[in-house]
Amino acid sequence: MSELLSPDILMSILIAAMGVATVILLAALGELVTERAGIWNMGVEGTMLTGCLIAYFTMVATGSPVIAALAAMAAGLAAGLLIGFMTVALRVDHFVTGLGFNLLASGLTLFWFRSYVGGSKPPSYSTIGKTPIPVLSDIPVIGPILFDQHLLTYAAILSVPFIGYFLRRTTLGLETRAAGENPQFLEAKGLSVSTRQYGALLFGSALTALGGAFLMLAFADQFRPDISGGRGWLAIVAVIAGNWRPVRTMIAVMVFAVLDSVAVHAQGLGVDIPYQFFLMLPYAASILLLVMIGSRSGQPAKLGVPFLKH
Amino acid sequence: MIEFSVRTSVGWQAQFAAYVLALTLGFATSALLIAASGASVSEGFGALYEGAFGSREAILQSLVAATPLIFTGLATVIAFRAEIWSIGQEGQMFAGAMSGYWISLYLGGVSALVAIPMILIAAMAGGAALGGFCGWLKTRFQVNEIISTVMLNYVIVYLLSYLLAGGPWTEEGTTSYQQTPVFADNFHLPLIVSDVKLHIGFLLALAAAVICWVILKKTPLGFEIRALGFNPTALRFKGVNVTRTVLIVMCLSGALSALAGVSEIFGVNYRLRGDVLVGLGFTGIIVGMIGGLNPIGAVVAALFFGALANGSLYMSVLSDIPPSLVPAMQGILLLFFLSASVLVRFSVQFRRPTNV
Repeated sequence: MSELLSPDILMSILIAAMGVATVILLAALGELVTERAGIWNMGVEGTMLTGCLIAYFTMVATGSPVIAALAAMAAGLAAGLLIGFMTVALRVDHFVTGLGFNLLASGLTLFWFRSYVGGSKPPSYSTIGKTPIPVLSDIPVIGPILFDQHLLTYAAILSVPFIGYFLRRTTLGLETRAAGENPQFLEAKGLSVSTRQYGALLFGSALTALGGAFLMLAFADQFRPDISGGRGWLAIVAVIAGNWRPVRTMIAVMVFAVLDSVAVHAQGLGVDIPYQFFLMLPYAASILLLVMIGSRSGQPAKLGVPFLKH
Repeated sequence: MIEFSVRTSVGWQAQFAAYVLALTLGFATSALLIAASGASVSEGFGALYEGAFGSREAILQSLVAATPLIFTGLATVIAFRAEIWSIGQEGQMFAGAMSGYWISLYLGGVSALVAIPMILIAAMAGGAALGGFCGWLKTRFQVNEIISTVMLNYVIVYLLSYLLAGGPWTEEGTTSYQQTPVFADNFHLPLIVSDVKLHIGFLLALAAAVICWVILKKTPLGFEIRALGFNPTALRFKGVNVTRTVLIVMCLSGALSALAGVSEIFGVNYRLRGDVLVGLGFTGIIVGMIGGLNPIGAVVAALFFGALANGSLYMSVLSDIPPSLVPAMQGILLLFFLSASVLVRFSVQFRRPTNV
């Protein structure tokens, strides 16, 4: 156990945690905006998994991480459109839709991957490199953790205040929130609730798929079934535990990311405790976090309630 | 101007239309999927059919494959009827198999007449405990049941992995297979047909479906379950202890899922290993939903998806199509079914535009 607490390992855990956090944070911010618009999107895990597979295919075909990320986001848009069609247009129960979509995504990605690979070994590529920020990355301790990371990690963290600003200060942000709090009011002003809900879903799903692409390109050199491993679900928990606020959501994401990183390091170190117990940590912690944080004051009033005119 | 409104109740004709629509579109999309992967659609579906229904053995084997799906499908029906969106069938099935195995370690050479009921009871207790725990988290701490059940699915799979690879249940001399030794004969579920492994679990599953149907239709508990989904506030005003109902539903759902684990482990594989269980819980969700959240419907859906799963093995031998076509088809059919059952409820009205 003490090996985990040595300064070198601790640093290594925190550095890796920032990468894992990027994946969950992108999905959580997307889900946050979606939920603020009133859509309880439970399809995050499936959307992330789809993003992973599309990024993998594109990366193998083109070798360009940028094109791979863009392709994953396009797939995310398609996922958001499908979920939006079912929840907004058909008004199928939001939970049922999300569960159905996850099952669809897990089946489709498995089939597509298997028929792509056939009997041979799946192709692999080299994972993308980091982009240290000059000067700042030389600061002891903080430098390597915060300023020697991937570009997308910086972007994800910077987008936290931007999302906060968008939801609080911009017209579109306020209208998006109105769709989740008081859709009748929005409709009475002659503004379409469904347009804003579609918009939020498309944005959220694209961001989630981008998270999946990052997971694929930065952490693995080839796809494997269920590679997202519950990180989409952790994003949903982070939004609830963060009481639907961007900064608090990011804090919850960091908790999961550190535990995830601890699990990976514990496996390599040969600690006395079986590694499976470390692997359980993020999932067990997510339940504990929801038990401890009782407050749901930030939950949008009409979250998950299909909107009917009149 | 065309207006859509949603009818709350629909006749059996509309429900039937939804199934026809969903099956047609679902199979058409699956055919596209096969074609896109470069294989022959007619050969693929032909082999799938042949493998599922082509011979007496194939049909019996399809029933074997349907057995655990009936249990997890029923678990879904009980929970979803109450609008409790538990997706813990997977984990509860693992918990059931693990509890059943744990008790069997203490049963030594006792006769099957004693051993099998003990294993069934222990398994149901294990599944009910896991389900009930999520019910408690929901009623006591308002922890959303989707989240808690998903997370515990992961936890329980890692727990089994520990027990089988390095933990107390590791098979002598190996950790890489992650399985226990083969069980003694007295722990095998008795077979109904001797040449195919069609075991009494199948009859138990059918009995469970009838019991679930009776509970839902004929008992006060069934009324409470349906009312919980329909109008929990009214139920509270009626003086019903809603917390108690939620806990009962989650325990019942967990116990049913657990039986899926027992039936696979003690009826087919005769040793505890995780990989043979993977996905049966999730497929049960699809079975329950496509079965219209009706116990009898779930049995029909389970027989259909069991046959697909069984046929897919044969198909993968005869063609280049991987057996994972079936999970993909299941997802496709589910989404089409969900959409179609809403679509048939829309009534289209033609009206003059009114001034707002």
